[in-house]
Amino acid sequence: MSWYIWTSLAALLFCVVLLGKYFVRLLKKGPPKDLSQKSGNIAQAVCYSCIGAMSPMQKESAYLHLPTYSAGIIFHIGNFLAILVYVIIALSAIFSFRIPIESVTNLVIIILAAITFVASVCGLSLFIKRIVKKELRELSCTDDYISNLLCTVMLFVTTYSLWMFQFGAVYYITMALLFVWMPIGKIKHVLYFFFARYHLGFFYGWRGTWPPKKATV
Amino acid sequence: MTNITKEQRNKALAIISQTSDSKLETHLNACVRCGLCADSCMYYLTMKEAKFIPARKVDLVSSIYRRYKTWQGAMFPKLFHARELDDKTCEEMVDSLFGACTMCGRCVKHCSIGVDIPFLVKKGREMLAAMDMVPKTLQATVDAAINTGNNMGIPTDEFVDTIQWMEEELQDEMEDPNAGLFLDKTDKNVFYTVNPREPKFFPLSISAMGKIFYAAGEDWTLSSKYYDVTNYGYFNGNNTEATQIARNLYDEIHKLNCKRLILGECGHGSRAMRWEGPNYLKTKYDFDTLTVVELIGEYIRNGRIKLDKNLNDKVVTIHDPCNLVRNGGLLNEIRFVVNAAAANVVEMTPHGTDNFCCGGGGGALAMSEYNERRLKIDKIKADQITATEAQVVVTPCHNCVDQLTQINHTYKLGIIIKTVAELVADALIIENAELKIKN
Repeated sequence: MSWYIWTSLAALLFCVVLLGKYFVRLLKKGPPKDLSQKSGNIAQAVCYSCIGAMSPMQKESAYLHLPTYSAGIIFHIGNFLAILVYVIIALSAIFSFRIPIESVTNLVIIILAAITFVASVCGLSLFIKRIVKKELRELSCTDDYISNLLCTVMLFVTTYSLWMFQFGAVYYITMALLFVWMPIGKIKHVLYFFFARYHLGFFYGWRGTWPPKKATV
Repeated sequence: MTNITKEQRNKALAIISQTSDSKLETHLNACVRCGLCADSCMYYLTMKEAKFIPARKVDLVSSIYRRYKTWQGAMFPKLFHARELDDKTCEEMVDSLFGACTMCGRCVKHCSIGVDIPFLVKKGREMLAAMDMVPKTLQATVDAAINTGNNMGIPTDEFVDTIQWMEEELQDEMEDPNAGLFLDKTDKNVFYTVNPREPKFFPLSISAMGKIFYAAGEDWTLSSKYYDVTNYGYFNGNNTEATQIARNLYDEIHKLNCKRLILGECGHGSRAMRWEGPNYLKTKYDFDTLTVVELIGEYIRNGRIKLDKNLNDKVVTIHDPCNLVRNGGLLNEIRFVVNAAAANVVEMTPHGTDNFCCGGGGGALAMSEYNERRLKIDKIKADQITATEAQVVVTPCHNCVDQLTQINHTYKLGIIIKTVAELVADALIIENAELKIKN
């Protein structure tokens, strides 16, 4: 196996260990310890927090900003798919099995490449928005640009590699950089996002705000 | 602003080190600075400046966390925007976290991640409180509550006089010498609390609630010393003071041996006593705690009071107090009561959990140094009210009433502002009240 594949695997290990450490730490700290009298259903509220409350109809951040919201969703889907592609490609390299390029597989690869390409364009548009929009620029720090750029470049490289079906040094080094940055920079929200949704569900569920009831006059 | 000492800094940093659960670490690390929360904030919508974006307020607290509590922030502060806790940062924190956030939580619901922004703003306030940097006006309100038992510093004699005066009015209105506003009675079912603005500025609110208690045949009392439902200690970030204020009511209900603590019409007070109080005091309550809206709802459902909604025939709209609706789950209960008491109710857009704050929350009403900013952001609420074409705005929160009164004056809305108790009292049918008391 080439040095760059080893490098990407080492980076992946670093990422998994660090994110795993955060994950275990969060689990150890546990849920809020609230002594007030509960007024709602936490489980239902957490479910709502992770599903219903994420609906674009429920969020101003989505329905007032549909292009950004859509770009964000596609960008995230693309990133998850690209990481899945890496896992498959890396496994094939480790265990020396060949992915057959036949008509069906080829179609899947074309679809994957199309998605990662669209996702990379979305990532680039979000990157440009962050640079161009004054208020967003004032809000941003270097980490924001690096995180976005790394993901976007990774998506472009994945698209190219899928299209050519050649996964070389550039591909693996790009993946390695992403894996190193993931638990350090803001991409670690890949973990904290789910805990944030849990806490939000817990908070609103405890007080009976979520799941929402229709306001009737 | 004076230079902060090492001791002050350490006290402040201890606030973001105390993690009894995973909530603080989660929210400090979750924000991606997408900036999409901006349109949910009244301050940003009015001022259109980046410093008013909720994510910026989050960043003020999380950047300090990154600087002092993460290795990457400590090693590469510029890369991760990890800030020193210095005078400049503190100055910005005071202005943004006290002067530009009502902690209404509207941004939370709409945050693409789900960051509890007011929770972090509160942590920031706690850090400032630990460094003695609470705005003086807000601190004076808390000091009054600590030193006198109520946030307006009303002497007990004055309060007792007001209650007696209102009691006489109630007896005249009911034509019943047994109608009463009871003080310091023991072994009652209900221990009632009020916002000190009521005895000071709105005594008719107390008499309205007295009328409802009378009609329901309730067995109730007020304390002449500890009747204040508010807790500005929740806003100034000093948890020791917040605990002391919560303890006043906790001890008083035990002293008077009452069964139910009824939280008067005050959004943050209800939140501070009902949801935060047991955690401040580190004990579960051994008495029922509910808001007056829920109690009135209970009276209506149980047939203890009868209402004729046609007695309130003006167009009524509801202002949802953030701490009772979005952060308190009373969306439908308020509507049930208001709908039972008024014939013509219309909703604001948006309303319920999406409603905009009155602008007076988060202690803003007490901080006169930010008056201009506070009244400026209220254009949103004024426009919301105007669009409903309502003649009456009803809200179960005296801080909201006070703020809406200022909006009414500033934007010349020509509306009537009422509490829920006032609206219900105006719709009461009380023929059988005497009979109920006998029963």
